[in-house]
Amino acid sequence: MSTTNVVDNPETLPARRNQSVSQLDLIVIPVFFVLLAILLTVVWIYSDFDGTTTSILEPDRLWTQAQEQITVALWSTVLVIVLAIPLGILVTREGAPRLKNNLVTVLGLGQALPAYGLLVLFFVAFGQGTLTVVLALAAFALLPVLRNTIVGLEQVDKSVIEAGKGMGLNGFQRLRKIELPLAVPVIMGGIRTATIINVGMATLAYLIGGGGLGITIAAGLKLNRPVTILVGALLVALIALAFDFIGGLAQRYLRPKGLS
Amino acid sequence: MDGIRSWFDYLSSRTDLVVETLLQTLAYVVTVTVAASIVSITVGVLTRHNALAKELSLSIASVFLTIPSLALFTIFIPIVGLGFAPSFIAMFLYALLPIMRNTVAGLDSVDSSVIESAKGMGLTPNQVLFKVQLPLAWPVILAGIRVSALLTVGISAIATLVAGGGLGDFIKSGLARLPLPNSLEAIWTGVILSLVLALAIDVVLRTVGRFSNPSGVRS
Amino acid sequence: MNPNPQGPQLEENKVTTPKISLRNVTKTYSGVDQPAVKDLDLDIASGEILVLVGPSGCGKSTTLRLINRMIEPSSGEIIFDGENVTNSDPNELRRRMGYVIQQVGLFPHRTIAENIAVVPKSLKWPKDRIRARVDELLELTGMDPNVYRDRYPKELSGGQAQRVGVARALGAEPDVLLMDEPFGAIDPITRFNLQNEFLRLQSELKKTIVFVTHDIDEAVKMGDRIAILRDQSEIAQLDTPEAILTNPADAFVVDFLGSGAVLKTLTLRRLRDIQLVHPPEITEQTGRADAAAQLRQSDFPYAVLLDDTRRPIAWVDQKNLDSSDSLDSNSRRIPVKLQPEDTLQEALSVMLQTSAGMSAVVDGSGQYLGTCTIQSLAELLTDQPVDGASL
Repeated sequence: MSTTNVVDNPETLPARRNQSVSQLDLIVIPVFFVLLAILLTVVWIYSDFDGTTTSILEPDRLWTQAQEQITVALWSTVLVIVLAIPLGILVTREGAPRLKNNLVTVLGLGQALPAYGLLVLFFVAFGQGTLTVVLALAAFALLPVLRNTIVGLEQVDKSVIEAGKGMGLNGFQRLRKIELPLAVPVIMGGIRTATIINVGMATLAYLIGGGGLGITIAAGLKLNRPVTILVGALLVALIALAFDFIGGLAQRYLRPKGLS
Repeated sequence: MDGIRSWFDYLSSRTDLVVETLLQTLAYVVTVTVAASIVSITVGVLTRHNALAKELSLSIASVFLTIPSLALFTIFIPIVGLGFAPSFIAMFLYALLPIMRNTVAGLDSVDSSVIESAKGMGLTPNQVLFKVQLPLAWPVILAGIRVSALLTVGISAIATLVAGGGLGDFIKSGLARLPLPNSLEAIWTGVILSLVLALAIDVVLRTVGRFSNPSGVRS
Repeated sequence: MNPNPQGPQLEENKVTTPKISLRNVTKTYSGVDQPAVKDLDLDIASGEILVLVGPSGCGKSTTLRLINRMIEPSSGEIIFDGENVTNSDPNELRRRMGYVIQQVGLFPHRTIAENIAVVPKSLKWPKDRIRARVDELLELTGMDPNVYRDRYPKELSGGQAQRVGVARALGAEPDVLLMDEPFGAIDPITRFNLQNEFLRLQSELKKTIVFVTHDIDEAVKMGDRIAILRDQSEIAQLDTPEAILTNPADAFVVDFLGSGAVLKTLTLRRLRDIQLVHPPEITEQTGRADAAAQLRQSDFPYAVLLDDTRRPIAWVDQKNLDSSDSLDSNSRRIPVKLQPEDTLQEALSVMLQTSAGMSAVVDGSGQYLGTCTIQSLAELLTDQPVDGASL
């Protein structure tokens, strides 16, 4: 699963590298997008489609699957934001340091949780359907946003908070006017990662009847149609790159002015 | 309680299969982590004086992490076929970024005055690299390797979808046989053994860290 | 032990109520046996700069932070403007006291103007009043509002950032400023300038200031009164800088002042306080032989060469008079002219720069008044009634 921005270990590295969007990201991602799009076009035009392939790769069908995939990913991202940011704020308030440290350790190990297994367990628990997929995705993508919220709030210069306190800002004002704005770049990094995880995991939704472009890839695998596999995989990759690009733009332009 | 007992029954009646899939996953983790470490550390070292090359390598490596796992696992099938090969390639590409980024960060974080004084003592650039920079950056690099290894454990479950074996086999067969007996046990086996393996790898790498980090450098 | 560590200054102030009082204040952190501040009584007079100085860990910073209740006292009372504020709303209290810390703590995501406007805004000042106040404060702290108003903190140097820090603390016109090592992280030259500017500012503003530092030189320079603290914020001596330097209360204070204590008195004395001496005065018109005779009869190695308007130009010795070169072309020119308001320390550094070991003192219009010599400084120092066995 993609964890573009949350790979460093908070115990050894400062989180600041989470904050900045490399200039090059916004160039390299479109370059890859264009290359893969050209590859897709070439495959589409120059491959011989037999009857099965043609019916699997019906454009209307692909469009529906893409929409399913994106819808599921977006809903789950919204759910993650609504759950993880308040939770992250809660555990970073004074008086809960133990909870926070344990949480960060657990979240680190959570990267080893097989998304595939989690999805299937949610299926067992909640049955088939879009809601199950959204919940499973949210459970998995919760980790980076929660972790980045914690790290983002923790990395705010203590002297700035101290100065705010010294000027008579109360706890809520300090959170709203100082801590959250200064944590935005890191939190945005987490949301971007979560979005990418969700788009990626939504490809597996087909396993539990959740639709998405995974259907096309799986059909290609089952019926041994490499072209179908390739088209499905490329479409999924293009969607993910597009989302990553949008996330990169958001991360870049939503960061408060004045931060270096 | 019944669930836990039936899960243990399930495990103990299939020790051969458990060991086999566990070893398959472990094989992925070891080969992928070693290969990705060699490539990433080399790239990090070679690009250390060139900011553009450094950023470019990191950007490309992070694009791989963006591509959904099922897509990356299947995209190479038309070229390399099913099984170990496409799975290895996909996981290798995923594992690059954490190690590369930490190599770059680790090398960057070495105090320039230390490098300066090493040069001042007449060490050649290679000696500075191997005797000063890499040892000092090692704790950070190792943290990256740890992240990559854990990432690989999680992602390797997908390999089963391209006939690559590993612990994902349990999840796939469990899902296929739902709601028959033992299907749930199979799914839990896949998930729990992944976590156990991750924990074990974590412990091993932390131990490695304790013994390989230069004394005097807090990891 | 000095029987009266509160010193004479306070007795003068006894009639007026102190601006801030700490009464029996104790702070014990949980899990620590020893209190960080123990039973502290401290009165801060209106309009004074009270410096809290002491070795690290003595509790000076804790003491400062007890005043605006960044740290809540375990027991005791804090009185502000005659009102017991020990249990009042701490945020409301803090808005009435400017607070300046070493790390400055400017909000990096806010412009300079927005940073300065924080407290006025929480006090719901009207917008145009805030805008006028921001510009006024930037002017006051030596920052051009048109240049800096809309900049972000990352574009400032350390010294500029602390100027803004001071401006921000003054934002809502508080009577009180609490300053926790405000110039501690700034390079020596910038710090010197900021200290001077701050003193100039204070001479206009007359705020009540509590200033924490670990640097005794800064304490002597900045303080109207200095409280030297030892462990648990116990007051070892509280007095004017001059009284502390010339009459340290005990061995701890002597030790803390260090061996440079006598030299520090030079920063407190001014040239007008000492008797100037008068070496022979000559001009270009004075005949060489006449001048040589005057010099020989005096006790001085040099005569002072004045121009037509009695401005000092150079130090002249026997050799210069014997040679045929023009007198003002010699190497002992007088580039720096001191004035009576300058400190003896400045006089000393001028003397050390010129090889003559003398410095000329002039009045406001540049006319020669007399000369200060190394000897006159040395006599002053040895005459000092310095107490104790330290010398």
